Amino acid sequence: MFPTYEVGSLPKLNTRIKLLRGQALDGQDHCELENLSKRYSPEVQAIRTIAHESEGRKLTPEERSKVIDANAHLNIRIQEMSGLDHVYDGEARRIEMYRNVARQIDGFSSLPELLRSRGPDSWEAATCISPPRLKSPDKLPITDEFAYVKTHAKKHIKVPIDDPYMIAVMSDNRYYTAALADRFRSNPRQWRYEAKRALTLALAEHVILPQVKAVVSQGADWIQLDIPAATIDIEHIPIVVEGVNAVVKNIDDVKFSLHMCYPRRVSLTEKSGYELLFPHVLSLDERIDHFSLELANGDQYEEDLRPFREHAGERKFEIGLGVLDITLERQEKNRMETPKEVRERILRAADALGDASLIFVAPDCGLRQLSLERCISLYEVMAEGANLARNG
Amino acid sequence: MNIGCYLTGPFGQSQELYAVRNEAKRKRGSEEAVQEQIGKDTKRVIALQEDAGFDYIIDPQFSTYYLFQPLNEHVEGIRAGPQENYFNNNVFYWRPVITGPIRAQHGFTEKHLAKGLPDQKPAMAILPSPYTILALSVISGYQDKQEAVENIAELLKEEAEHLARKGFLRIQYDEPAIVHKQSLGSLTKEDMELLNRGMRICGTIAGATTALHTYFGDAGPIIKELVNLPVDAIGIDCTETSLDALLQHQFHEKELVLGLLDARNTYIDSSKVLADIARDVWKKTRPKHLWITPNTATEYRGFSHGIHIINTLGEIRRHIHVSDL
Repeated sequence: MFPTYEVGSLPKLNTRIKLLRGQALDGQDHCELENLSKRYSPEVQAIRTIAHESEGRKLTPEERSKVIDANAHLNIRIQEMSGLDHVYDGEARRIEMYRNVARQIDGFSSLPELLRSRGPDSWEAATCISPPRLKSPDKLPITDEFAYVKTHAKKHIKVPIDDPYMIAVMSDNRYYTAALADRFRSNPRQWRYEAKRALTLALAEHVILPQVKAVVSQGADWIQLDIPAATIDIEHIPIVVEGVNAVVKNIDDVKFSLHMCYPRRVSLTEKSGYELLFPHVLSLDERIDHFSLELANGDQYEEDLRPFREHAGERKFEIGLGVLDITLERQEKNRMETPKEVRERILRAADALGDASLIFVAPDCGLRQLSLERCISLYEVMAEGANLARNG
Repeated sequence: MNIGCYLTGPFGQSQELYAVRNEAKRKRGSEEAVQEQIGKDTKRVIALQEDAGFDYIIDPQFSTYYLFQPLNEHVEGIRAGPQENYFNNNVFYWRPVITGPIRAQHGFTEKHLAKGLPDQKPAMAILPSPYTILALSVISGYQDKQEAVENIAELLKEEAEHLARKGFLRIQYDEPAIVHKQSLGSLTKEDMELLNRGMRICGTIAGATTALHTYFGDAGPIIKELVNLPVDAIGIDCTETSLDALLQHQFHEKELVLGLLDARNTYIDSSKVLADIARDVWKKTRPKHLWITPNTATEYRGFSHGIHIINTLGEIRRHIHVSDL
């Protein structure tokens, strides 16, 4: 009852960032590594050794690889020792969710400037300039990533992979817009829809599916597709479903879940939040049986989960219940959930769904923006809260 | 000449501005360095607009993160609420929480305006429209929406007239919400009445012309109502509204702002194709004045795409000769 998991990312170790930039570590860095090494992972000692040997010079490829391995190992152990039931490596090898995939795509070219998204926060968007294909289909980064996790994880593994719609919605869609111009110019809204659909389906077939197949052939049996932007374009939600279905079709004996967060709560329609997903998600391939949802930030579990209960007669989905608000604002205010609050959220959700067996327990989203110390505390609070909920 | 060009919203940041902002955010750089870069980039974008012969010059708004920021920060009775996506963009804003009644010192938007404007230039200032503020805000301080939209419109009218006194020749009211709702099929008579109610108050101001600029939605089914609003110009997003729908209408007494260039996609038709479209629209809708613009802010695809849009607008203008019209 109430198994726990991490959604995706953890912050990169500061010492790793420094070493990869060719900077020397200071006493505080060594102290932090010593503590993490003793508490979670002796592998972290490798970072200290390399720091000592490199003395601030640029690392060799072998040294870089060892540092990143150590960071991945640490992340796995932190999750396992905090009591999580399904783990991964905190995306220790990935630059950032979107860029991690965009940079692997032949047919994508970065825009000249980073785009602003939220206040001063910016992101590196890419333009689709030709049909998207993997640059190195025979040497996918996710293959080594998964192999390492499989070798070192003691708990069950859930693999996070970007969803094709998410990549499409965050990209500049020049190629398909141009390709469909003559056909749809007289109907600009359909033009935009069809161009996004074409890009999403091309990404599904040629970029995401090969990665899914690769890790499944290595033994992965739970894959989480990340679609934070699922509701960003309300009229395009059918494309979300088509994209997911194109990825999971013909992949048997694998559990698939979808991670969604920060839905359009101001939609200017009578529906808002996760309600916008319905009825479209009822057409998801039967292989999809689980939604991982951001819920703690809004703390309106009853309202957010209502559509899932209302449609339970047609389809039941497990819910990865976001019980931890992972926003930076909350960290800045030094506020954190207590195990008791987590327990209450789980029980409220169980009541709202009418079926406690559907609930998994998770943070709202990946934790990469937060301090590692806070991430560890949050994991512990979450695991303890789930324990309390199991006891009623 | 009854045809012209201008930009309609914030310009994308340069890589240099990103770099100094990122350093300041991570406490490795200074806010002074950010302001210095903003000054340089603002000067450059204003000069680019002037060189292209634009009829109105806008502040590229490098100091503002989102449309409602001046309201949230400087208006009594409004505060910043939860963060939300700005329509269907990977860009966020903080919802205004309006506890009302709202009050502000004249010039509350000026802290967010570039220093080099108007400065004898034909400048245009951009404000959110009363209906869009109403639609995207959390309203708790009013008995009904009518009272709220009227109070918001009164505040905007005072601000618009203040800006006109400062030398701005035109005020653009940004109105994405009404057409976005229309596209989603959720527009009601009440929405149109609220839009009307607000614009009746702030649509006509002393000392400057006004434009209601719609974007992020299909204006087609409501063009007739838009044309009847008490504003000088109506902006139509041609990346959402079909030309066939637009060409059904006459704009004799109104200026038409044709949001012809897609600011959210680096695919843009050639300037010749766009000039042909503009010419056709001119001939069939006969507006008092035709303006060619991007559909929305150019910030969604960055600084370089913004420059490309400025250059394309300049070329379109050169393609269209007065004798054509």
